Amino acid sequence: MNRNLKLFGLFIGAAVIGHVALVLAVPNALMGVAMDRISQGGAVINRFQFGDRTTEKSRGVVRPSPDLAYSTCVYDLSKGPLLVTAAPSPGQSYVSLSVFAANTDNIAALDSSQYPQGIRFVLAMKGQAAPAGERVIESPSARGIILDRRLAPTAEKFAEVDQARRADSCAPLAG
Amino acid sequence: MSADRKGSRWVTAGVVVAGLLAGAASGWFWLQKGMIQGESYAGWSGNSVTGSADADPWTRARVAVAGLLALNKSQAIYFTRNTDSSGARLREDCRYRVSGGTLPARWWSVTVYAADNYLPINDDQALSFDATEVQGDAAGNWTATLAPKRPESGAWASTRKAGEFDITLRLYQPDARAQADYGSIPMPKVERLDCGDQA
Repeated sequence: MNRNLKLFGLFIGAAVIGHVALVLAVPNALMGVAMDRISQGGAVINRFQFGDRTTEKSRGVVRPSPDLAYSTCVYDLSKGPLLVTAAPSPGQSYVSLSVFAANTDNIAALDSSQYPQGIRFVLAMKGQAAPAGERVIESPSARGIILDRRLAPTAEKFAEVDQARRADSCAPLAG
Repeated sequence: MSADRKGSRWVTAGVVVAGLLAGAASGWFWLQKGMIQGESYAGWSGNSVTGSADADPWTRARVAVAGLLALNKSQAIYFTRNTDSSGARLREDCRYRVSGGTLPARWWSVTVYAADNYLPINDDQALSFDATEVQGDAAGNWTATLAPKRPESGAWASTRKAGEFDITLRLYQPDARAQADYGSIPMPKVERLDCGDQA
């Protein structure tokens, strides 16, 4: 009886560990899959990629919005900070740049109503030097994803913002 | 080592492995409940820490499964529901009227998602409706339709090939009051009109 109780306690303890371990591992694991997919297996890092218009066939990220134009940059700060910029859309329609750490946390979100002339910041890890006068966003992880969202509910609007977003940049600081 | 002792170790190891697997399975099952968790607001589920560094590990994992790259509430608030106002499951073979008033955000949209968390596979070019499509009256009240066929008039999101579906309301750049108190947001109603051949 005593042994059965001990085994039961062991089972419950292991179950709690299994449950918590899975819950803790899932965000980093899924973010890793997304980064790998978006960066085409690590081939496209520190560079924006401009997604096609969202359709019923879009399967890159769960629950995409068909009303937005998405551009993504998988970042890697291990060799230094990045300068990130996003040009405004025509007519000052909605643009946002959001930064996601490797554990999925949305560590920063800047938008066109705050910065109508365009969004610009340096993304760095703690301890990395950034030029004076630049807005600096500190990432808790070396890798993550930057997402540019632009309002584009129609094909015509998508074509307009697609042209504007080609000026976006996500690249190592020069020099 | 005696055979009894050896056997006992195998039993212990088996119990530990079974416990780990059962725990992991319970975690996965819980995560599959997707976005229909968190606080409830007139039938819509939302969570004020979505996307935030303040999110607890369970919320973070749930968002990773069903809403990866979700924004924090300063930029967007997300609400999801999979039932109509009577509590019945949203189904492709029914028609629904969605109605509401002025929402406290710069822009909003309502999008249909199938059970796999992706857009339904149909070519109706009507996967959502948004603030620019609905025709509000003088008081700002609007209506739209969720149905497998295009209605005669008004804003529409197609549910064709969506099966048992859910809808997500996105409020972009919500005002300060909405961010502070989700309960202050006048949530749209989702009423079933009919089902079957009429839908």
